[in-house]
Amino acid sequence: MDLLLQLFVNGVINGSHYALLGIGFGLIFATTRIVHFAYGPIFTFAAYIAWWLSGAMGLPIWLGLLGAVAAAVTIGLLSYLALYRPLELNRAPPLVPLIASLGLYIVLENLTGVIFGSGVRVVDVDYGIFFVGPVFFTSIHVWQVGSFVILGLGLAAFLRYSRYGKAILAMTDDPDMARVIGIDTFRITLLVFAIGSLVSAVPATLILVKNGASTHMGFAAVFMGFVAVIVGGVGSLRGAAAGGFVVGLVESLGLWKIPTEWQASIAFIVLYLVIMLKPEGLFSMARR
Amino acid sequence: MSEAILETKGLAAGYGKKRAVFGVDLSLAKGEKLLILGHNGAGKTTLLRAIFGLIEPMAGSVMLEGRDITGRTPAANVADGVAFVPQGHGIFKSLTVRDNLELGAFAENDKGKLPERLETVHDLFPILKERASQVAGTFSGGQQQMLAIGMALMHGPRVLILDEPSIGLAPNLVERVMEAIATINEKLGASILMVEQNVQLSLPLADRVMVIKTGVTVYEGSPEPLRDHVELMKLF
Amino acid sequence: MEYLLHVGVMLCLYAILAASFNLLIGFAGLFALSQAAFYALGAYAAAIVTTQLGLPFPLPLIIAVVFTALMSALIALPALRVSGHYLVVISIAMQIIVLQVILNWKSLTGGTDGISGVPAYDLFGLKLDTPELFLPAAAIGALACLWFAFRLTRSPFGRALRAMRENEAAAQAVGKNVLYMKVTVFAISAGMAAVAGVLFARYFTYVGVDSFTIDETIYILAMVILGGAGNLWGSVVGAALLVIAPELLKFLPLPVDIADKMRLIAYGVVLMGVLLFRPQGLMPEPRGRKAMFVPVDAEREESDAETLFKGDKGTKGETVMEGRNLRKQFGGITAVDDFSIELKRGVITGLLGPNGAGKTTAFNLLTGFLRPTSGEIVLRGSPIGNAKPHELVGKGVARSFQDLRLFTRMTVIENVIVALPDQTGDRVLPLFLRPGKVKAEERANAARAMEILRFVELEAKAHDTAEDLSYAEEKLLVVARLLATGAEVLLFDEPMSGLDRNTLQEVFPVIRRLAENGKTICIIEHNLDVIKELCDVVWFLDEGHAMATGTPDELMNDPELAQRYFK
Repeated sequence: MDLLLQLFVNGVINGSHYALLGIGFGLIFATTRIVHFAYGPIFTFAAYIAWWLSGAMGLPIWLGLLGAVAAAVTIGLLSYLALYRPLELNRAPPLVPLIASLGLYIVLENLTGVIFGSGVRVVDVDYGIFFVGPVFFTSIHVWQVGSFVILGLGLAAFLRYSRYGKAILAMTDDPDMARVIGIDTFRITLLVFAIGSLVSAVPATLILVKNGASTHMGFAAVFMGFVAVIVGGVGSLRGAAAGGFVVGLVESLGLWKIPTEWQASIAFIVLYLVIMLKPEGLFSMARR
Repeated sequence: MSEAILETKGLAAGYGKKRAVFGVDLSLAKGEKLLILGHNGAGKTTLLRAIFGLIEPMAGSVMLEGRDITGRTPAANVADGVAFVPQGHGIFKSLTVRDNLELGAFAENDKGKLPERLETVHDLFPILKERASQVAGTFSGGQQQMLAIGMALMHGPRVLILDEPSIGLAPNLVERVMEAIATINEKLGASILMVEQNVQLSLPLADRVMVIKTGVTVYEGSPEPLRDHVELMKLF
Repeated sequence: MEYLLHVGVMLCLYAILAASFNLLIGFAGLFALSQAAFYALGAYAAAIVTTQLGLPFPLPLIIAVVFTALMSALIALPALRVSGHYLVVISIAMQIIVLQVILNWKSLTGGTDGISGVPAYDLFGLKLDTPELFLPAAAIGALACLWFAFRLTRSPFGRALRAMRENEAAAQAVGKNVLYMKVTVFAISAGMAAVAGVLFARYFTYVGVDSFTIDETIYILAMVILGGAGNLWGSVVGAALLVIAPELLKFLPLPVDIADKMRLIAYGVVLMGVLLFRPQGLMPEPRGRKAMFVPVDAEREESDAETLFKGDKGTKGETVMEGRNLRKQFGGITAVDDFSIELKRGVITGLLGPNGAGKTTAFNLLTGFLRPTSGEIVLRGSPIGNAKPHELVGKGVARSFQDLRLFTRMTVIENVIVALPDQTGDRVLPLFLRPGKVKAEERANAARAMEILRFVELEAKAHDTAEDLSYAEEKLLVVARLLATGAEVLLFDEPMSGLDRNTLQEVFPVIRRLAENGKTICIIEHNLDVIKELCDVVWFLDEGHAMATGTPDELMNDPELAQRYFK
């Protein structure tokens, strides 16, 4: 029972991480229909910038986070402007941006390796360790859950109440109609690339503190984000967040019966089942 | 009638390499209701989308009150008093009626005018007030069309462009929508440019009619001769 | 020198991989990113059966290919349900699961250590264990695979694949079994990748998971895109460029680690650059006459296409197809409600009604694209049950689409050829076992297709690409494609809209003649003029059910309908 409780808490912690990635990736995907695989290496790059500022230069970690956010937003915007935008203007069929994003993916991933070198990079940050009854967690875990709550609620409020937030919802619903009512969809696209990239930098910095940064970690980041979006149902950020928690919990609780080395496969099996049995996602609202 | 508010000269447009509209001259007078008729694939929708800036015209020009607005973005057109109701219920299905109407005024900078306009829309379509918090996608086809027109009015347009507002609606609802369009024209003073396939129910509304066939104008003038079945047949 | 020969061996392996991947993404339009997993399965299967069972050539090759082809069903299965982004993400997931299984099943695969000591090929005591000796073996493998791929793509099966890529529903509507095609092309593509995998294992005498990561799939993808999707020569060229060019990096004084990363960066840059500046690749998919693989002179031969225009010999006016009390619900909306219709031999039946009346849904029900919620459809006296669209085409029921759905990037004549019935080369086994028969049929079909095109007066455009036709010509091609199916019951969804009066006058006699020949014809039409001139019987639909039926004159003089619709 104690084990199960611990696994549940671990699941919530990892679920928050996946949910954040799902929200960030999903915001870009739902609004622009671009499968932005380079979201993964941008996540990695942000973590390395945080390491460079906090680990190598010795600045406080919050400055590292700030640097990570700035880097992620810059590269996110550049990838749209330099790659996806020209493809859109060429009227490329929908899968072309996806293939191009795979190209950008390996460029950014290996560029990070060339700049920062391979091998794991860690920062030395003191953090607290807590026991609540039999359950163990650290202050970084608290931050992982907390950052999801703060960013999730903040984003929800932004979408719900601000003018630009509503424009994003409108474009997610129907991009053509968004243009009809006079929304500048180019600006909205830049906005979602900026927000989505910003969101990625936060879990990136926390993962750096928790496990250290390695050049290949971007793949898991973007893929789990994508999985969260599909499990939750494309087009709904609440769905993406819920999808992230489902994956986190199933993955963690699965350890109760499944050997550790298979943990990484659990999420993919969930994905396979969802796509085969309920391709519209578990939490999609019946809209049409 | 008075001077033209919206004009096209030799407008050609299409998708990719393919032209669907070949040099259409069109003139909408201030306060006029101009009806464009044509069969499926005649190029009506392409024409409207090119006028409104949703697709780049391949040739020719579009003028609003004498100013050249060819190829201007829809955002600029909306801000300048041109509104467009696209085919097939131009609404945001996942959002509430209230959000939809609010988004209709997205490009309006003077938010002070909105309560008044909202009232106008509510007067015209009371159901939009009664069901303000309902998700628009759950509306019936007719209600969605009313909402789409309501959204277009939130900007106080001088020119209202409608693409087949009758599509998929039962006849009594079509009549209701046509009445609303007539009211918008009379009370709000918007000039109307409307594309239709439903000849019977749209013809009574029109001040003037253009018939387009495979991208070119084949008839332009009074609706009167077209009320005769045989005349119409010849054109199609 | 040995180094150059090594590059040659790698070129052979990647030519196979790129060609196999191109079959899937370029020809069939199935965007599944798991090619490196198939490559891995082939390599591991060969390594395991040679090291653990000690089986001699050619058994490991055969086992590896068959095993990988069977495993491909894991990805073909989702590809039957989903496409686009979903297929991409699920295929990447499958690739990762395959690697995880290989990593974790240590007793069989050696886990991270991999499997070493795979025996090199042994040719009567001569061990093929140097690049020099292995290159001929690799070349033979590559040539065999490429020959197979070329034969496959330049065949009725390959043509059907491209048709499916262009429009899946339309491919079904001309009688193609999409399920068979998808499963088969996955199996073939995976089997070819497995050949490369076996060669890999034999050449390096070692297999390990690092050679088969997702980066490897992207690498092969870059070759296909650079060379040109839908062009097999392009894949060979793409493989050559991406195998040879990075070798030049070795002459730069870079640390090994950095050089390796620079190589991957180069692939990514190539991939993005090609998509931005030359999306069709260095060698684009052939167009027009160049796309034809049936000799053009065959098109001028005599043909028996006339038989396709003939219906059954049965009695005129006899009911051929019948819908009884059909009802179709989508969620809460009832699109068709208690709708019954009879289609009779030699009779042109019109379906009339306002937009949204349920006409197209009725067509979808009659042609197997939708299943009725209740009610039944009877063809020549027996219920069609759950027959799929392509099965109904085989039974003589074919339809056209309102939105045309031409195979846009194929030539006009290919659009017609692909629709011709009973093609032996549609199936892969007969294609390779009875090449003579397939070839003779192809020539005959080219001639038949040309005759059909002459019939609709499109013969001058036979070698144009379908997307370059005018709207009226597209409509004529739709008619030609439907005729080519040879079906007895022809359902036209708005064949006349958008045609001018002169063209209409040319199409009318065509359709009338078909009816006179004993075809059963049903037409959805808005244009009252067309209905009046063409139809013998009209069913008026509104809100999902038949409001009235009768001759065109009867209906148009019905006071209630006149009020409602005609005026």
